[in-house]
Amino acid sequence: MIDQFVIFSAQGQVLYHFSPHGKRLGELQVNKVIAQLISSPVRREETGQRYGLLHLDQFTAMYHATKQPPISFLVTYAGNDLDLNQEAEQVLNLGIKLWESLELNQKIELNLNGKGAKNQHNFTWILTSGESQIERFDEYFRAKFNSLSAPKTKAKESVQPIRTNTHAPKSVKKSTINHKSRKWGRDGMMEESSQGDTSSLDFSGDTSLESSPAPAADVDKESFGVRNDKGDFLIKEIDELLGKNKSNSAKALDSNAGAFGFLQKHLLGNKKITHDDLIKVLEKLKQKLITKNVAPEAADHLTSRVSQSLIGTTTASWTSVENTARETLQQTLTEILTPGVSVDLLREIQQKTESAGKKSPYVFSVVGVNGVGKSTNLSKLAFWLLQNNFRVLIVACDTFRSGAVEQLRVHVENLAKLTDESHIRGSKNRRGKSGNDFVELFEAGYGGSDLVTKIAKQAKKYASDQNFDVVLMDTAGRRHNDPALMSPLKPFADQAKPDKIIMVGEALVGTDSVQQAKNFNAAFGKERNLDFFIISKCDTVGEMLGTMVNMVYATGIPILFVGVGQTYTDLRTLSVEWAVDTLMS
Amino acid sequence: MIELSNTVLGSLLVILITSALLLIVHKNSTNVIPGLKVSNRDPTFIIAGPSGSGKTSLFNMLTTDTFKPTLMSQSPNIAEDYMLPSTSKSFKFKLMEFPGHVKLRYRLFEALKESTHLKGLLFVVDSTVDPQKLTETAELLYEILMLTERFPDGVDILIACNKSESFSSRPPLKIKTALEKEISKIIERKAKSLSAVHKNDGVSDGNDTEEDVHPNSLEIQGGHQFTFDALDGNVTASAGSVLKCQVDKWECWIDEKSVN
Repeated sequence: MIDQFVIFSAQGQVLYHFSPHGKRLGELQVNKVIAQLISSPVRREETGQRYGLLHLDQFTAMYHATKQPPISFLVTYAGNDLDLNQEAEQVLNLGIKLWESLELNQKIELNLNGKGAKNQHNFTWILTSGESQIERFDEYFRAKFNSLSAPKTKAKESVQPIRTNTHAPKSVKKSTINHKSRKWGRDGMMEESSQGDTSSLDFSGDTSLESSPAPAADVDKESFGVRNDKGDFLIKEIDELLGKNKSNSAKALDSNAGAFGFLQKHLLGNKKITHDDLIKVLEKLKQKLITKNVAPEAADHLTSRVSQSLIGTTTASWTSVENTARETLQQTLTEILTPGVSVDLLREIQQKTESAGKKSPYVFSVVGVNGVGKSTNLSKLAFWLLQNNFRVLIVACDTFRSGAVEQLRVHVENLAKLTDESHIRGSKNRRGKSGNDFVELFEAGYGGSDLVTKIAKQAKKYASDQNFDVVLMDTAGRRHNDPALMSPLKPFADQAKPDKIIMVGEALVGTDSVQQAKNFNAAFGKERNLDFFIISKCDTVGEMLGTMVNMVYATGIPILFVGVGQTYTDLRTLSVEWAVDTLMS
Repeated sequence: MIELSNTVLGSLLVILITSALLLIVHKNSTNVIPGLKVSNRDPTFIIAGPSGSGKTSLFNMLTTDTFKPTLMSQSPNIAEDYMLPSTSKSFKFKLMEFPGHVKLRYRLFEALKESTHLKGLLFVVDSTVDPQKLTETAELLYEILMLTERFPDGVDILIACNKSESFSSRPPLKIKTALEKEISKIIERKAKSLSAVHKNDGVSDGNDTEEDVHPNSLEIQGGHQFTFDALDGNVTASAGSVLKCQVDKWECWIDEKSVN
């Protein structure tokens, strides 16, 4: 059995809510689904599914969203098995069809455009003067819903045929409908029984039933029969309604061609946008995105989202279809690139290191493909942290590539020199390590992947013993499509438990970035994801920032920093506005 | 003579039409650039705040006088030509309510940039939240202030402490001071953070001398604690409850600001 069925608008208004158990609206559950949809809008429909499916920790949600008008239909249910999925799909199907056939969409559109009746505040609520339709929707939906779930209940209770009749109204909805029909039979036959559905439930266990079983059974049969007739009648009515709607929608809208249509499209505005209008425009925009290094896959997704949100709308006056599409694309890009959670690294580090009790360092680990600039960006990050008076331990977890440790040592020497003028290159600090009091290198030579996790654990312990604030772990570069290289990442993350896993991606890479981001994100198992990206070498690509879109599109993980040059100070936070402007220019 | 004037008229008409067309084309081609357009000239009130603080409920309360169940919003609620019944004059304004989700806040910021006639902003806060955990709320308020303080007189802000019916709600004054404290911390942190990337980065190196394009008006106070009093706009806090229909104080505030 499903938990609830909700219809709501994008504005956050609940339009209709139904729960077979008669429960209140589960706001928390629905909000969780919405938040999930907002923060990772990139979601391809699973194969064989008509509606979007979302698995969250405690429940599954099936949803369908329409853009014109912007409303969503949502079914939530516990667990995730095929039967339930099927039931949810049926319920969703029914709800959507009924909603359409009762012409509630037209009403909502009218109200949203401000053409409906206004109240004393000069305002039209989304469902103004739609109450009767909602009531009808409710009645029909409940009736249909019961007929959907009826076969199941019957099968379950066929062991006790007499009881089935009385028990059939399992859900509250059912009983409300039965309630009407039952009155008929009861009023005629037994007047002493009180009205209401509770009596019908009491009935089976009632002593009066036991004392005179024969007439009671008669009554039951009769009332059941009447209900059936009534129910059938209602359902027939609904079916007729649904059928009518089908023939209605078959009449397609034909766009007004000719000179006026052309003028509307390019100059006057106020044109209803159709699929045909958009094809050329979107193709043009797609090509443009691809020239900016956006992967075709991501470009397709972006343009399809634009067409989804535009078809059926009317353009503003004096605005061409093309400009409208451009603006929508701009919005879509902004939405994709904006992080779903606010990340304030300084606050998080302060919170962890300044909290009372045992002091533990804040651990970053940096991963990525070979040669994207992991060590360089790690040093840039270290420089910024050093400027904020944190004590930084840099850990050489790249135990494969020759010279990797030595390279990091050079970085540490540079950073030590920058924080303390009097530092002499090559000198050891008082713990006998490279670096000085603020920045230090933790190294343990070269070796296999076992050594990597060992170093990581030792370094963490060392850092908390020596009161370091931040630990930065450099890892070996690895090819993202080689399982042998990717598999050690999971045990590494499990053992080292970094607070933040950063993936460095280079802006140069192009289409492959989609796969890189996906594979690295998947490498840490189901529970752990990447935390954010650093996009390096942005200064080398000019306006071709497509890699940013690709990586965020593939994973939904935000970009926090971009590398814009060769020196330690050339690390910047991402400005979404800047990125979108550059991509659209 | 008649023929002549006819040709003159005809040519004039042609000139007029072509110039009109040129203007339109020009307008169409330029209004794509964001940040330069001003799309909202109506007197406007804005409702903003973090997720789950009760913005949409407040919007419904103000527009329909009833409490309606709401969910997380994905797009703004807008009431054009909204009227408060209490105003004696038939003063109409635009009431906009924006979603609080971090990913959708850009809509609010865009609207703040594009409006020229902001009458006031209702910043809805969940008063049951522990003052220690107001950081994200303060972050949003900080971002809003950065935009509203660009106006010569700022924008008046009401910190609407919602959910006062709950036993764990805090008094508005306490929330206000907590927000002040958090904002000072944020200013401090922002100063230490890496600057955002902008046009000249990378493309042409070394042009870093011109500094920020938008001067940070909140940092003028130097090392002192941040206070709302130092702002151009007037910031007040008052309690209320949408659930219990206790929004009179806020309505009064809107009344007061709309008259000015």
